[in-house]
Amino acid sequence: MYSQYQLAEMYTINPATAAKGLNLLVDEKILYKKRGLGLFVSSTGKEIIINKRKNFTLKGLVRELVIEAKQLQLSEKELMMMIKELYEEEDKQ
Amino acid sequence: MRVIECSNLTKTFFTKKALNKLSFSIEENKITGLIGRNGAGKTTLLKIIAGFIKETSGEIKVFSEKPFNNLNNSAHVIYVDDHMSFPSTIPLLELLKVAESFYPNWNRDLAMRLFEYFSFDPKTYHHRLSKGKTSTFNMIIGLASRCSLTIFDEPTTGMDESVRKDFYKALLKDYIAYPRSIILSSHHLSEIEDLLEDVLLIKDGKTYLQMPISELKEYAFALQGNNGEVFKLTSDKEVIFKNHIASNVTYVIVKNDGSKNLLQQARHAGVEISPVPLSDLCVYLTNETNGGIEDVFNEN
Repeated sequence: MYSQYQLAEMYTINPATAAKGLNLLVDEKILYKKRGLGLFVSSTGKEIIINKRKNFTLKGLVRELVIEAKQLQLSEKELMMMIKELYEEEDKQ
Repeated sequence: MRVIECSNLTKTFFTKKALNKLSFSIEENKITGLIGRNGAGKTTLLKIIAGFIKETSGEIKVFSEKPFNNLNNSAHVIYVDDHMSFPSTIPLLELLKVAESFYPNWNRDLAMRLFEYFSFDPKTYHHRLSKGKTSTFNMIIGLASRCSLTIFDEPTTGMDESVRKDFYKALLKDYIAYPRSIILSSHHLSEIEDLLEDVLLIKDGKTYLQMPISELKEYAFALQGNNGEVFKLTSDKEVIFKNHIASNVTYVIVKNDGSKNLLQQARHAGVEISPVPLSDLCVYLTNETNGGIEDVFNEN
């Protein structure tokens, strides 16, 4: 894993901020510390990230989608149709 | 270790109090942002820290010594702004050489690389530089001096977009390689917020708040929606700013008291919750009134 200083230079952010971000990932067990060697991605890291994106990021996006559809008085069926069409479009590419 | 400690610092110019019993301290090797409105006392404070002017009352210690009339302070603290005065008969390149004799940590290599990168003419004079070039040259002096306490007061005045970005990158790179205490004052918080570790917000010559930037980001949030619903949700909260966007829509910024179910309540009530950009938050926190410029134009 990049060190806090490498990350700070890459994104032009304060190294303390980079360290806080890394610590959050350690707390979530995505990264782990090896004494004297630095941070490494844990074996379950990828899985944790995928789960998080499914359960929080994607779910949040779908929630917004449903709210927006409701405000536009779109039925569940119509919304599903739209999603299906977009799936097919993406599959073609 | 504390680099700066000050308590009840007051500076009076004739009858006006520029600083009014200001107290705070700054830890070693941090980048601190000094934020405040025009006339809040930022420059006065920085000049006292640099030893340029003397406090009227109160106590200030920089590296455990009084900064005014102190040679140690002059060698280890540098104050950079767009009014730095240099002898008008010495060309730029010579100025860099002279500066070297003033600052024990001066790095000639860094100074020369920056000087060439920003394509300065070695034979020209400081007073002939444009506004942006003046700031750029002063910034080079500030970085190359590698002073244990480096103060940049509005360093980007007149700099174009690309030079500003280069400056922030150079500052951060050199800070990481040679950690030191840096104070940065700027009216463009959005530009510097990523660089900062701590924020010191002053208002009317007093410390308004001082905290890590990560805490300040969670200090407050905004709600927008139907008047009645917003009022219900915010009745027990500390309101920082309020604006009627339309006859039945209100935008309110409230202090974050850590209540977790507000997000859900708001969602059910159709009220939008959003984070507040730091630069906006600081403007609202340091405003004199709870309203905005709109109130000037609203007769009632």
